[in-house]
Amino acid sequence: MLDYKKEKLLLKASNINLKYDTRQILRDVNFEIFNVTRPDVIQGQVISLIGRSGIGKTQLFKILSGLIQPTSGTVLIGEEQRPVVAGEVGVIPQNYILFKHRTIYNNLKIGLANSGRKLSENEAKDIIEDHAKQFDLQDHLKKFPAQLSGGQRQRVSILQQVLTGNKFILLDEPFSGLDPIVKDKVDELLMKVSHLNEENTLIIVSHDIINTLALSDTAFILAQEPGKEGATITEVVDLMAMGYAWRPGIKADHTFLDLVLNIKSKL
Amino acid sequence: MPTPKVKAADFFLPFGRIGKSAAGILLAGELILALVAWQLSGGGLLPTPSRVLTSMTKILSESYFFDNFFSTLGLVLQAMGLSIVIAMVVSYLYLIPVFTPIARFIMKCRYLTLTGLIFLFTLLTSNGHSLKISLLIFGIVPFFVTSLVSVIDSIDKAEFELCKSLRMTNWEAWWEVVILGQLDQVFEVMRQNFAISWIMITMVEGLNMSEGGLGAMLIKSNKYIDLGSVFGILVIIFFIGVCSDYLLGMLRKWFFPYTTFNTRN
Ligand SMILES: Nc1ncnc2c1ncn2[C@@H]1O[C@H](COP(=O)(O)OP(=O)(O)O)[C@@H](O)[C@H]1O
Ligand SMILES: [Mg+2]
Repeated sequence: MLDYKKEKLLLKASNINLKYDTRQILRDVNFEIFNVTRPDVIQGQVISLIGRSGIGKTQLFKILSGLIQPTSGTVLIGEEQRPVVAGEVGVIPQNYILFKHRTIYNNLKIGLANSGRKLSENEAKDIIEDHAKQFDLQDHLKKFPAQLSGGQRQRVSILQQVLTGNKFILLDEPFSGLDPIVKDKVDELLMKVSHLNEENTLIIVSHDIINTLALSDTAFILAQEPGKEGATITEVVDLMAMGYAWRPGIKADHTFLDLVLNIKSKL
Repeated sequence: MPTPKVKAADFFLPFGRIGKSAAGILLAGELILALVAWQLSGGGLLPTPSRVLTSMTKILSESYFFDNFFSTLGLVLQAMGLSIVIAMVVSYLYLIPVFTPIARFIMKCRYLTLTGLIFLFTLLTSNGHSLKISLLIFGIVPFFVTSLVSVIDSIDKAEFELCKSLRMTNWEAWWEVVILGQLDQVFEVMRQNFAISWIMITMVEGLNMSEGGLGAMLIKSNKYIDLGSVFGILVIIFFIGVCSDYLLGMLRKWFFPYTTFNTRN
């Protein structure tokens, strides 16, 4: 069995409802995210919200990041459990949007500039170049976003949010539109981000069950209950308790694949 | 990049790729064809290319042409400069709710015809030059604002969300996305609308002939039914327009290198 402890509450979503006109998109969404600690390992949390296309994942993503307000319900974050405000949660939207008029370097710089840290030009440069190297972007700093591939843009987008200094980073469909090899690289990358800080918490919103579960320590299944309108959390999958968390190569495990099939049938 | 083999069918296919040299030959060929057709059909009322060329060289060799040319150029540049500044201010303020109705109204002014306002403008301005400038500005600004506002409206909402997620204030987001992010588009709008000022120049210069200008020349030649000169001037105006179009395009590439990526082919 894996050795870990669930500690402080980091995020709590309570009774989130979202309606557009009379159409209920989200209904009574409730979940909690705790800081998970492991002896001798600096490790953040990786949480996933899994659901089929069109169920309301992106809407929930925007609510969690404070970009839109739910019709009712609250999202509280941090030790103090304050209501979330846009800017306190890093977001990587589905199409990895970047400032197209800025070079990659300057896109990263604007993330760092809003981190609240007082840095000289040279210190900023060192931090950016150092991170760029870690994320395999050092050769692209002078380019513009339009000159990068989707996978590279995604890395810039993630790094931009990491440099902003947010502990929470939300990713909307980070695996969509990437080929299998790049998907594995995204795995590695997200693990790297997770290991940067004990409290780093990645929340992945996705319909790609296998890739998302393989990374996660906890997964929430977003689906409709029979006869009721609007999506809600229908199941919590504790991958730590099941022994699937933090295991590279888990995608080849037969029992894990059974779990994936089982979840697929419930979406 | 290896040059793909050009097939005849590509010339007639949507998105057909024919390569640079073939495109150049195509342009030259069509130009020659057009000139030949013009030469053959001309002779009656329509002056032939050779006659236009003769009168054009005559016009170009006379010193008063350059006086008129620079007078027009000065007028156009001054009016364009002022218009773009006014239009930018109006369009940038468009996203601030109190200014939205004003910007909307200015866009609708496209439908006001200048001719009806000449009298009013004559009363309001002190001399011929400022009358011309203000008429031009009044004519150009609504078109500029319309184009700029459509640029602003087409900004991806996700860009504002990115700004928010990077903890920018609304003003910072506005500066980053609307001003910095769209500067290249402002340039493009300017290029596309530059033609409008050339079109209006004839009308406006006709109102006050004392300063001369290409428009004044054109009106005089028309009066004496000197069609050779009329066409000569037209061709000159056309070429100046094409050159400035090209120049502005080059400047845009130069200032905003990122606009050259992500285009077709
Ligand atoms: N602004 C909006 N107004 C009305 N309906 C919307 C709006 N945005 C999204 N929806 C609807 O909400 C539902 C969920 O969308 P979304 O969250 O994007 O799904 P996904 O799970 O694929 O991310 C969809 O049916 C969509 O049509
Ligand atoms: Mg979505």
